[in-house]
Formats: sequence, structure tokens, C-alpha cells
Amino acid sequence: MKALVFHEKKCIGCKLCHLACSAQNEEIFNPRLARLVITSCYDRDGLIVEGQVCDLCMSCVEACPVDAIIEKNGRLSFLEDLCTDCGLCVDVCPNQVIVKKDRGIGVCVQCRSCANWCPTEALTFEEVNK
Amino acid sequence: MMAYTGKVLRIDLTTGKASTEPLNKEWAKEYLGGKGLSIKYLYEELKPGVDPLSADNKLILMTGPMTGTIVPNSGKLAIAAKSPATGTILDCSIGGHFANELKYAGYDAVIIEGKAKAPVYLFIDDDIVEMRSAADLWGKGAHETEHLIADALGDVITLAIGQAGENLLPMACISSELYRQAGRGGIGAVMGSKNLKAVAVWGSGGIEIPNIRKVSAALNKIKREDTMTDDNMWAYSDGTPMIVDLSQSTGILPTRNFQEGTFDQYKNINSDAVKGTLKAKKACYACPLACSNYVKKGKTEVEGPEYETLALCGSNCGIGDLEAVIEFNRLCDDYCLDTISAGNVVAFAMELTEKGIHDFGIRFGDVDNFLKMPGLISTREGTGADLAEGVRAIAKKYGGNDFAMQVKGLEIPGYEPRGSWSMGLAYGTADRGACHMRAWPAAVEAFGDIDPFTSEGKAELVIGMQDDNAVKFSAIFCDFWALSTERMAEILSMLLDREVTAAELTKIGERVYNLARLFNEREGFERKDDYLPERIYSDKLTTGATEGKLLPREEYDKMLAEYYQLRGWDENGIITDMKKKELNL
Repeated sequence: MKALVFHEKKCIGCKLCHLACSAQNEEIFNPRLARLVITSCYDRDGLIVEGQVCDLCMSCVEACPVDAIIEKNGRLSFLEDLCTDCGLCVDVCPNQVIVKKDRGIGVCVQCRSCANWCPTEALTFEEVNK
Repeated sequence: MMAYTGKVLRIDLTTGKASTEPLNKEWAKEYLGGKGLSIKYLYEELKPGVDPLSADNKLILMTGPMTGTIVPNSGKLAIAAKSPATGTILDCSIGGHFANELKYAGYDAVIIEGKAKAPVYLFIDDDIVEMRSAADLWGKGAHETEHLIADALGDVITLAIGQAGENLLPMACISSELYRQAGRGGIGAVMGSKNLKAVAVWGSGGIEIPNIRKVSAALNKIKREDTMTDDNMWAYSDGTPMIVDLSQSTGILPTRNFQEGTFDQYKNINSDAVKGTLKAKKACYACPLACSNYVKKGKTEVEGPEYETLALCGSNCGIGDLEAVIEFNRLCDDYCLDTISAGNVVAFAMELTEKGIHDFGIRFGDVDNFLKMPGLISTREGTGADLAEGVRAIAKKYGGNDFAMQVKGLEIPGYEPRGSWSMGLAYGTADRGACHMRAWPAAVEAFGDIDPFTSEGKAELVIGMQDDNAVKFSAIFCDFWALSTERMAEILSMLLDREVTAAELTKIGERVYNLARLFNEREGFERKDDYLPERIYSDKLTTGATEGKLLPREEYDKMLAEYYQLRGWDENGIITDMKKKELNL
């Protein structure tokens, strides 16, 4: 199965991935609505680069009590009409890349906008062992 | 207004009151944002002759119409005030992630007025604006200040000053994310004079534009085909340290306080040497070019050193020890000293000492004392008490005026004018004193195909670049993307609710540059202030490609006269009424 992979050594911290994701999926430039979390900042010990992307672990699919998140051919879909806003998926996501919205949630649909924008191939869409 | 938020946050530190007001749309159309719009606000709101370190000066944080969007290289912020170093208009440009955060908080700009009774910092949390005590932060470096604010507030982006700003140094800068600086002209001292230690921001909002997916796709194509090209990718492969070799080979690498244009130890501080210490490349918000080098050497680290630091704090101080330059850079960023001015000041002290004019206890190449300088200068201790005031003031007190390397009180950047005559004119006519960011003609002249040792055609060259950069810094594109005015117009048209033309942008650039001049004119600046230090006109360089070279005063005068004429200014450098009318000034 193919999924997004983050390569921290290549990341420059430009956040174009966040912008690309929010534009594609939420029709707004708002990095906090992106369905991935890339951090590049300094703390007292120096530069920290970390990234979380959806690796299709299926925790959210399994946790959803009303089957509002489904997986088909390696892609997640969200069915808003079924969602009860219980927030379980957000809580169980080990990568914390599910966006809680006023109504419903946003999951990564492997649209690859982030990887298409990444200038340094720090985000790639490639075969992962599942 | 589409990509603008249409909202300005005004904070009066004297009363502690924050209020919002609509962005002046007419001005936004004529000046766009960033540099131009912040100067317009200052021109309209500051009383002529205002003391830059008084409560009556204002500090403006200004974004641009593209800030916070996916437009490549749109991540910078303009910070403007009247300059404590020069008394001119002062707009600085700082990278990092503050500008977008401010826009997401809902503001195009913040205007900070007055003076707090005791040290404070501001926390802008969307529409909640708090003035918090900075009693525990005062006296600390910018780095620890940022860490402590992050401890208290979490995921915020901060502009902070160090001890240099608190102590009102005319070379105090503002730092953000440790290693990003609004560097020049004492902008940090304006914050210090207001008892303002830091501004932290967090924004939850976003920017919506019609056809956002289509626009994003078009911009991604532009990013691939016009941003990430050979013309610009030097920023990623090397960053600004690559200029060291160029300057050395063309004889314009300032060395030992501009006594020479080449440095025998340049290989210790060039791009190859910096690459040997590289840990990671780092970018500003929305920038695919990532010019920054995060480096570690020995016990020290920094995001840098940029070319200007390598030149002014390296060769210009006779320091060929990269680890020492990196550590000096880190110290300057923490204390919040502008490395261009600090390097100049230390080099000037070295030459004054060696010439026996005044003993500052430091000589060229003296690494141990060199590394003590940022601390002494920032806290005005020992020899730092005199050095803190900048080269012009030091020369006034002790002499050496002919080789006090400054224009209008601002120390000269890393391009020797005797080997790049257009840079001389660019320094003389830059709106904030000697600055390489208003125009950088060395790129096409000393480093390109144009003869550096002629005055011919230089006025036109410099004017074109000044106007281009003025509009670029007003729209807020980083200068490291060498994009055409047509491309700027194409992108702005995608984000604004009107068609923007290249001709309109060229006019805006000219308008912005003239307004900056008009501000300075109102403060009493004229032709006599547009001259370079005597050394440039009368001391011949002695090594390398510039051996035997000067910039003769009569040639400089010729360039300046032509410059004024092409600008539509009179022979004293005063903007004519006709030009003012043409530009709606």
C-alpha cells in the first residue's frame, strides 16, 4: 500500500505542505486546518524538526462507532452525514493529524497536495509496509 | 479586499489600550503593504522632527497582501519607525513566521504608539490583545526571552529585543525565532525606548480567496518553473556565503575596516567552509528556497552566518576563524546587535587602536577580544560605552572621520564601493543610510558584465533596482526570488479583487521610493547627506582586482547629479513639485 512518508532530514520548515493541504481540502490558507503536522523550530537544545502524516494505520476507522470514516483502496473517506461529532477519531489518531472542525472532522485523503508542493521531497507518497 | 484582512491593530502603550480600525484602502492601493504602506502611515502620523527614542515615535509591523498565502517567498514582515541611528525613515524586513501568524490573527498591521510605564510584552491572541509584565524578561537576551515566552504561552511566534535594544543602541535589532533579524538602523532601540520587550502572536484564522484550488495549482507551477530555477537555487545550495568568493575575486570584500578589498584568509570563511559546518537548511514561511544554513562548529551554533556577517565580522575585522565568526554572530543575535554595524564598529575600533588615535584594546585578528565585544557593546561596559554609539559618534569623539565607514550614520555593508561604483551610489542614495537592500547593483556590475569602474549608466541602473525592490518589499516578496514585475503583477492579480499591471507596480515602486525620500527631506536631509566616507574617494586599494582603485569624488558627483536628474529631483536632491504631483505625493 502507498502512503505519505515524511523525511525529516530534508524538511526546511517552509510549511507549504500545510498551506497546500488546507487550500485543497478546506478551501482556505490556514495551516492549522491541515491534515498533517510538520514542526520546525528552535528550543533550548537547538533545531527540532518533526513531522506527522497519516500513515493509514486505520485507528480512526476502527474507533469510529458509526462508520463515518471508511477506507477504500488505500484512501480514507469521511461521511459527514453519519458523524455524531463524538471526537473519538481525533483522540485515537496516534499522529494527531485529524482536524476537528465546527461540524465533523477532516482526515487525510492521500490527495498528495502536500507532497506535490514540498520543494525538497521531504514528503513523498511511497510504498509502506502494512 | 480579498487577501487583505482590512484591519489594523493600534496599541497605545502609554494607556495600555488596544483598538482596531479599517486599513486605509486608498493607501493600500497606492502603496500595497510592507515597506510602502508602513512608510505612508509613518509619513502621515509622525510629527516632523520627532525624537526617534521618544514616546512620539511609532513602531509599525506591516504585512503584505500575499502574507499567509501559498505564494512562494511571501513570508517576510516589514517593521518600520523613524531611525534612532540616522534620523531617516527606517523600514526593516524580517523573515521567519511572524508575518503569517499576525495575518492569521486577523491583522494586516500593528501600529505601536506611546511608552509603557514599566517593561511589558504584548500577546496578540486573535482578537485578544494583552499587555503583560516583562519585569522577569528585562535584562535577558532575545534567545532566553523567546524561550521563556514559549514556556508561558506555548505555540506562539515572537519578536524580541535583547540588551542592546533595552540600552537604546543605534545598532540594536529585533530578533525572531532566535536567528531572524530586523537588523538595521536601531529598530530594536525603538522597542526598547517604549519599554516593549517582545511581541508574541498566535492566530487561528486563515485567508480565503476565490478559486483557491485553481490559484494554488497555478502558483505551484510558477514555483517550479520560476522560483526553483538556477537563478534562485543558489539560496538552497549555498545561501549568501557564496558571495565571499565572488567578492574576494573581484576585490570588493571589505577587509580590515575597508583598508583592502581582499582577505588572505577568505577560504576560512567562504561558502565551502560554512558548508563544512552545515546541520540543516531552514526556510521562512512559504519559501521553497531555504537560504538559511543552520550550522554548528565546536561549541557554538547559529542559523547563519550570512555573507554580511562573514564580511563585516570576518574579513573586515581581520578574523579568519569561522568558529569565532559563528560565535560572534550568535552573540549578536542574542544581544540583538546588527552584525553589519557591529562588525563595522569593531573594525573601526581596531583601526583607531592600530593607528594610535585611541586605544580600544583590540587589534585586527584578535579573536579573544573580538568575542568580548558584543557583550561589552550591548551593555555599554568598558570600551563598549563608546562603541555602542556607532562609528559616526566614535569618530566625532576620537577622530578618524575619513575612515568611519558610514552614510547618514548607518554603517556600510559588505561591498567595497571602490570596486563597485554603482554600490557607492546605492549606499549614498539608500533611504535609510548605507544599505545594500535598496539596490544591489554589484550583482550585475562587479559580479556581472558591467564595468565597475565607470560612472556611466550607473544612475539608471541604481534607480531601476531601487524602484524594483521598493515594490517588491511593499508587495512583500523576498528579494532572493529574482522575479519580474510582470510575474509580480500576475500573482497579485490572482489575490486582489482587481487586475494589477506591471506598469502600475513600477509606478508604485517609484512612489514608495520617493515617499521615503520625502520623509527624509522633511527631516532636513539633502544632497550633502548623500556622500560616502572620504576613504572611498581618496585611499587607493592595494590588493587584488581593485589594486590602485578609488571612486573619485568627481565621478561620484557625476553619478549623483545624473541620479537626481533621472529621479526628477533638483540638484540639491529635493523632489520637484512636478514629480510629487506625478506620483500623487
